[in-house]
Amino acid sequence: MKLYQYLLLLLPFTVLSQEKAEASFFGGFESNAQWYLNDTGLKDEFNNPTVHPEDPIRSTNYLFLNFKYKNWSAGIQHEAYEKNALLNMNPKYVGRNVATYFAQYKTEKIDLTAGYFYEQFGSGLLYRSWEDRALGINNALRGGRVIFKPTKFLTFKSIYGQQRTGFDVANSKIYGMDAEVTLSDVLKYNTTTLSLGLTYVGRDEKTAIENPKFKNLTNGFAGRLSLTHNSFYLSTEYDYKSKDAVVQVTDQIDNNLIKAGSAVLLNLGYSKKGFGIDGTFRRLENMSFFSERSAKGNSYNDRIMNFIPSLTKQNHYNLANIYVYQAQPNVILADKDLVKAGEIGGQVDVFYDVKKGTSLGGKNGMKLAFNFSNWNALGGTFYIYNPQDYKTDFLGFGKRYFTDYNFEVTKKWNSKWQTIFSYINQYYNKKMIQETSGEVNTNILAAEATYKFTASRSIRVVGEHLWADHDKKNWAGATAELNLNSKLSFYLSDLYNYGNDVDYLRNHYYNVGGAYRKKATRVALNYGRQRGGLVCVGGVCRYVPESSGLSLSLNTSF
Amino acid sequence: MTNSVFMKKLFFLLLFVGMHCFSQKNLPDLNLSTLDGKKVSLKNDFSEKDKLYVFSFWASWCGPCINELDEINEVQEEWKKTVNFEVIAVATDDSRTQKRVKPLVNGKGWEYLILLDTNQDFKRALSIVNIPYTIVVKNNKIVHIQNGYVPGSEVDLLEKLKSL
Repeated sequence: MKLYQYLLLLLPFTVLSQEKAEASFFGGFESNAQWYLNDTGLKDEFNNPTVHPEDPIRSTNYLFLNFKYKNWSAGIQHEAYEKNALLNMNPKYVGRNVATYFAQYKTEKIDLTAGYFYEQFGSGLLYRSWEDRALGINNALRGGRVIFKPTKFLTFKSIYGQQRTGFDVANSKIYGMDAEVTLSDVLKYNTTTLSLGLTYVGRDEKTAIENPKFKNLTNGFAGRLSLTHNSFYLSTEYDYKSKDAVVQVTDQIDNNLIKAGSAVLLNLGYSKKGFGIDGTFRRLENMSFFSERSAKGNSYNDRIMNFIPSLTKQNHYNLANIYVYQAQPNVILADKDLVKAGEIGGQVDVFYDVKKGTSLGGKNGMKLAFNFSNWNALGGTFYIYNPQDYKTDFLGFGKRYFTDYNFEVTKKWNSKWQTIFSYINQYYNKKMIQETSGEVNTNILAAEATYKFTASRSIRVVGEHLWADHDKKNWAGATAELNLNSKLSFYLSDLYNYGNDVDYLRNHYYNVGGAYRKKATRVALNYGRQRGGLVCVGGVCRYVPESSGLSLSLNTSF
Repeated sequence: MTNSVFMKKLFFLLLFVGMHCFSQKNLPDLNLSTLDGKKVSLKNDFSEKDKLYVFSFWASWCGPCINELDEINEVQEEWKKTVNFEVIAVATDDSRTQKRVKPLVNGKGWEYLILLDTNQDFKRALSIVNIPYTIVVKNNKIVHIQNGYVPGSEVDLLEKLKSL
């Protein structure tokens, strides 16, 4: 779309927005640019220096405009990948174009959308469309949606469309329906809330396989319940995906292994002021769901239909993000030591606020957080050779994938000083998770202190150390962040893989940068090295290669 | 980047800067759940005349967000003596971490109304890229935006609230 076309679009709305109170216009702009550089000091496993890719200057840009007039609204998102998208983003993001658009009519009872839209049913294990720019995920559905709320306690949703992939849509049709009823409103409970939900999702993809042993239409059904009573709460969800061809390796549809999938999710918790405990159990079997069968397992999360986050603590320290668990919903029948049909496990969180004035809490109190998670492969009987098959046990625990114990203490000493101390212990089965080899046990210690010089000037320093018995072995890390005032910050950080067995891989990953913020605008500049590995947001990850360079990001809303 | 692309970007940028002056943003018309599963309407439930509603976007995994809400929690009773305001903490956690929100909020003893923005509809409607991100709403209009948090930002926020 040309520039003047945008302007024509904008013009009537800006005029309206000045004349009438019920009309408004808003939008946002985000740009992430990267200048990749050669770096002779940063070696890969074959002792080759880091070389910048073709098109060393790359950027991803998003412009979102939204107009509203009374009950009507419309929006458009334009995306530009100039010149080329950032390294290891979906290669379908090329050039620039209108990416999404929608028109919507909304009242108290009815909400109609045509064009691209985002939706999530229940926990998203069966269907979720969302946008995550850092990961290059945008799987909005292009079609129509109707939301109907006949009364306060009933919501019906129905969706139909084709899923966005790159600047195009996937070659399948997606149907969905969801109903939710808040029973406690019907029964006029005061201290209890109880709601029930039912979901149907269908994916209709014509297959090119001759004499398929599966149907074009794959059906998904789910039911959920959520209950809160005083300090207790409970929620549960069951998902079922009808029989379909299993895809063990991207692009290889197996016409001889036709299996159904399922998920069970159970969450229980109790919390009152100053204390909270929460436990989650989840069992996944053959649960990945893509808008095109062959897309399963692609490394860009392209054409993904459901959201299967890893249920572990999202640690914020750098060294705690080297061995990150990824949820394992897939089927792999590789050899007798590497069989998967899903995962089973859970996590527990405890939060406790030590009161002020107690001997442990001191004058300013102290906050404690503990988390434990453990995930195993699903146990059962597996047949690796002709014909391949498996049969799982409902509560079958196979090989262990991952364990994480972590503990965090936050203490404010006075109005100037605050410290956080963290200990993390992880077990990471690299062979089972990444389908390579090895198992890693780690211990991580992190300590950080913040000191306030004046009302808005402060410094934060973080020290981290990771002990690992295998793989890249030990790391040390440090970060210093200076906040000059509420608008301007600078930082300096380094991660050093000093314990690596291979001398040329004992790399420093240093970074230096600054950020300026004012009202709705943020500009950040960074120079340094990017550690290769997984970049994860919300439990979904994207692999990034090692790189070195300068990055500039800008975002604003208006 | 070619020159024309750059010029185009610059042009857009200037265009938006210009539009800042004209656009007066309303809260988006969305319904969100509270921690107890009750639905609230952004349009109808935060409209007491002249009251300041401070919506703070955070997530259970975001350190600076939690620091900000911890700090404000300590001082908000004091502030309420001079300013008529309420803080609403909008949890942008998706279903990975959403179940940790309730025990965390109670564990920390926060006294905010918590809204769950599970599929980030509210965040997206305001084109929020990074959290923490705080907006102040008065008479259904967004009258102030503070993006990011550093220790002490809450002092700026109080000054701003007094002036609105």
